[in-house]
Amino acid sequence: MRGLHIYIALAVAVLSLVSARTLNAYWMHVAIIAMFYGILASSWSLLAGYAGLFSLGHMAFASLGGYTSALLVQWYHIPIPLGMAAGVALCTVAGGLIGWVCLRMSGPYLAIFTLGFSEIVRIVLSTEDQVTAGMAGLHTAPLFRAPTDLPYYYTAFGLLLFALAVLILITRSRWGLFLRALREDEQAAAACGVAVARFRILAFAIASGLAALAGGFYAHYIGILTPSLGSLDLMAVVVVMAVIGGMERIPTAVGGAFGIEVLQETLRAYGQWRLVLFGIILLLTMRFARNGLLTPLWRLLTGIGEARRPAPAPRGIGPEGSRP
Amino acid sequence: MTGDVLVRGEGLRKRFGGIAAVDGVDFAVARGDLIGLIGPNGSGKTTLINLLTGHLAPDAGTVVLGRATVAGAPPYVFAGLGVARTFQLTQLFGRMTVLENMLVPGLTRPHSTWPGAAARARAYLDFLNLSHVMHLEAKNLSGGQQKLLELGRALMLEPTLLFLDEPFAGVHPHLRDELIKRIQELHASGRTFVVVDHDMESILRIARRLVVMARGRKIADGPPGDVRGDAAVLAAYAGLQ
Repeated sequence: MRGLHIYIALAVAVLSLVSARTLNAYWMHVAIIAMFYGILASSWSLLAGYAGLFSLGHMAFASLGGYTSALLVQWYHIPIPLGMAAGVALCTVAGGLIGWVCLRMSGPYLAIFTLGFSEIVRIVLSTEDQVTAGMAGLHTAPLFRAPTDLPYYYTAFGLLLFALAVLILITRSRWGLFLRALREDEQAAAACGVAVARFRILAFAIASGLAALAGGFYAHYIGILTPSLGSLDLMAVVVVMAVIGGMERIPTAVGGAFGIEVLQETLRAYGQWRLVLFGIILLLTMRFARNGLLTPLWRLLTGIGEARRPAPAPRGIGPEGSRP
Repeated sequence: MTGDVLVRGEGLRKRFGGIAAVDGVDFAVARGDLIGLIGPNGSGKTTLINLLTGHLAPDAGTVVLGRATVAGAPPYVFAGLGVARTFQLTQLFGRMTVLENMLVPGLTRPHSTWPGAAARARAYLDFLNLSHVMHLEAKNLSGGQQKLLELGRALMLEPTLLFLDEPFAGVHPHLRDELIKRIQELHASGRTFVVVDHDMESILRIARRLVVMARGRKIADGPPGDVRGDAAVLAAYAGLQ
């Protein structure tokens, strides 16, 4: 059966929508946070998994997106969606700028640079407490005033779908091919005519914009924002989610986000030991399944039905060179 | 030179630390040339190619491509103007399939489409006898197949000028003959080549013009028969005797 993975993804989506009303308040919150992390892990995968740009500044953009929206809503009483859009726009531009500044950096240099950026953002947000309320926390306007979190659930679902649509559209297009070429060999990609600088900036801009979208939603869902949203701890959680799921594919990164978030909650009774468990899972993943634990499963699903065809075709290309 | 000039480097200089890798070199490639660029290790051949393909910016001198001065422009500008290259150590997109490797340059072409690029890729893979491995990851190919794929990837740019940096290095004699045959066929179909290699036998089989470098300078330039007897060449590059 060709396209089995698409049917399964659709079934999961429909089931998620239908079963939302059956979730109790606690699991609904877990599901909403999982979707928040799903946006972050998948957009980080575009950077690290596709383009090979190992950025540690992703949560800083989520944080900036959240604060931008919260402060604009507080100061100018603009509608919350407009505030979130402003956060996305700001972080898209700022992300592009960071991408431009980091043009000649890769590997550990890029990671250290973005880590530095992330810490600057966090410390400025902590220090400027007259504006941001610092570690005391900035109270934010709620997106909905409803007796349950159901509207938040549907909103998070919609935002996750939107982020996935953007990411999948990019990764299945020629841009996705160019980003993977950059990851593999930047010099060779340039020799092939790929405008390296343009695509690096583009990857940073899009990923940062999506991180800001997640951050904006989080700000108006949780009700209070602290600079710790942009901390290295949370950045590590996003990295762990994407790496354990499989950062070279968008769906596996989202799967990793859901898996780790649910595990975090089900193992809550074990306190800090669950974090040790995640560390061990991460080590084992890096040692035995570098492409992520969910990647073999995704390959299996996408491969079913392909075997009967005379020759497997690359993404987006039919056997005779036509786009399906 | 046999026709109009495709690329001209004038007074090119490039230093790395205290060493002049390329030291005031003038180098022009005319349409239809098949140039063998030779010289001892460290003579500046690869640096010269890097300067003429945008992978390095010269410290001094200019590069004129057609009518455009392009020294210091990024490599994709050169690629867009019809200049393709391969690398001394093969640089493929290892975890992408052979076909995807071909599609990357194919889709950077203006007005290119997926079906069009895929059809061209399949045709070139047929030409290079790589069709049977098109769905393998490039890292899984043999050394010789990787060289062929790198040539195919360069061809996907539909270039007028190809720089091949050591295409015969480490290649089995059978595949080397195949590579030579393909280069000759492509040259006959109107492509221009600059081939760098240490394999003198192969270079002399294909080159119509020989350029010799030593210590960053061009010391000889002319038909292979003349260059082989040049005293400066014999002194600098004993392997020519």
